[in-house]
Amino acid sequence: MALKTTAQRRALRGLGNGALLLMLLWTAIPFYWMIVTSLKHDKEIYGYEATLIPQRPTLDNYATVFRETPYLLFLRNSVAVAVGSTIVSLVIACLGAYAIARLSFPGRALLARGLVFTYLVPTSLLFIPMFAMMSAFRLTDSLHGLIIAYLGFDVPFCTWLLMGYFKSVPVELEEAARVDGCNRISALVRVVLPMSLPALVVVTFFSFTHAWNEFLYAHVFTSTNNARTVTTGLANFMSQDVFFWGPLMASTIMSALPPVLMFLLFQRWVVKGLTLGGVKG
Amino acid sequence: MGTTTVSLPLPSSRRRLGWRGERIQRLLAHDRTLGYLFLLPAMLVILALVAYPFASAIVMTFQAKTAGAPGRFIGLENYRELLSSEQFLRTVVNTVVYTAVGVGVKFLLGLGMALVLNQERFCNNLFRSFLLIPWAIPTVMSALNWRWIFDDASGLINNVLVRLNLIDETISWLSNPHLAMFSVIVVVVWQGTPFFTMSFLAGLQAIPKELYEAAEIDGASVLQQFSYITLPRLRPIFITAVMLSAILTSAGIQFVLILTNGGPSDRTMIFPVLAYNLALGGAQRLGMGATVSLFFFPALVVFIVFLTRRMLREKGE
Repeated sequence: MALKTTAQRRALRGLGNGALLLMLLWTAIPFYWMIVTSLKHDKEIYGYEATLIPQRPTLDNYATVFRETPYLLFLRNSVAVAVGSTIVSLVIACLGAYAIARLSFPGRALLARGLVFTYLVPTSLLFIPMFAMMSAFRLTDSLHGLIIAYLGFDVPFCTWLLMGYFKSVPVELEEAARVDGCNRISALVRVVLPMSLPALVVVTFFSFTHAWNEFLYAHVFTSTNNARTVTTGLANFMSQDVFFWGPLMASTIMSALPPVLMFLLFQRWVVKGLTLGGVKG
Repeated sequence: MGTTTVSLPLPSSRRRLGWRGERIQRLLAHDRTLGYLFLLPAMLVILALVAYPFASAIVMTFQAKTAGAPGRFIGLENYRELLSSEQFLRTVVNTVVYTAVGVGVKFLLGLGMALVLNQERFCNNLFRSFLLIPWAIPTVMSALNWRWIFDDASGLINNVLVRLNLIDETISWLSNPHLAMFSVIVVVVWQGTPFFTMSFLAGLQAIPKELYEAAEIDGASVLQQFSYITLPRLRPIFITAVMLSAILTSAGIQFVLILTNGGPSDRTMIFPVLAYNLALGGAQRLGMGATVSLFFFPALVVFIVFLTRRMLREKGE
């Protein structure tokens, strides 16, 4: 019997390696195409002389992006919106999560439920009234308008994620600090937050990448380059009829790098956070 | 709780506060006051950015409304128009197909990938990181990349097929009515599988090794171990992942908007794209757009309520 399972395991190992190879190819080929396109001259991109491997690799496309398009402006906007919404939602979420995790008051469970519920309501149900609202408050075409709009997603998500971590910080530590004269706020800042550092990293990662990757709100609430982020900026390049795939792929790669690097850096923590709730199916 | 601190000497910072400061301090020592105070900003965000827009979406469904102008009450006219429109019926069918096939394939591939990555092998961590990257790159970027891969004239797929002499004429992956839905789902699967892989892999790694060892001693085959240990243990994760992905896939607008914009002749039209086109494309019929979204809310809310319960139970709330 044991012999049989050993043989089965060996067969499974072979099968697994084969499947892994296929999956690696399936994942890698689109990246390959993206990268080589960004390195080719137009002659090698279109028409009968199109190549699969660039014959004379060039960085011209990257230069074109910076010279002839407002890409730098989009990049600046994305950074501003991502940093802004991350900081604001972190502060709001820390306070809220602390209240739910540590303080007892009527309606606490209901509020916790409300938070999760709102995090799960997709933006495609809300963008039409949000658009009317943003127009009414003259918040369209502005970076702070986008920052505010993103709070609607980031705050419930961050609060919910932090809530779990805060609960795992031993209450005794905090009580000791309060005996020593800390009030609630300094107990939160000096005891709970430092002990929840991994959670803060995860939450920062998620709200930053959410703002960086978000498309629908950014697309609907902006009509000029002033507040366009990279996602809407690039989608807009494409719809302008001028199909220039070389520079487009170059800017796509540059825009995808920050979230990918962050993901690889914080991978272990991110996977843990993702299995707790997850974003982006 | 407050009593223990009062009996001890106060730190200098607190002693310096006057009578009023002390009253505020005492008020803040109450869990109730402090709790509401701490939660106030979060509640304001939710009320202003989720609850209010949602309520006004419901109002809009009874209105003929364009951007910037106040709505005019028209009763159930929007609903009547939608239900009698062939485009809407097609959208319902498309959304169901798109979501069911997309989530189904992502699930199976994700499970396969997780099982493969759970085997021990050289450099396994490296492979895992790499396979998860499609999840980390912005959805818009993968949509743009795939649009170029599917390109009629010079895209990768047609390029390779022509080289191999497999086709005489290039294939219009995104504008052929019979292929468009298939092509869009391919992209959805490429981007979304890693989410399932990550969730399932975490679940697999949480299963105690002893269970398999015991089963091995009892003579259970690999298949039996899979169906009596692995599958039941993963079940809770299966349910959470599928529901979350169903919500996000059906409500995700980027792939369809960038790849086909619902075309050719509505073959890939799903509800968020229809809502977008009605509300913001040309005619600016906000009321009609809101009605489309609201129609899909009951289906989504079943998943949302169920998931809310599950996610809170995991946190012991």
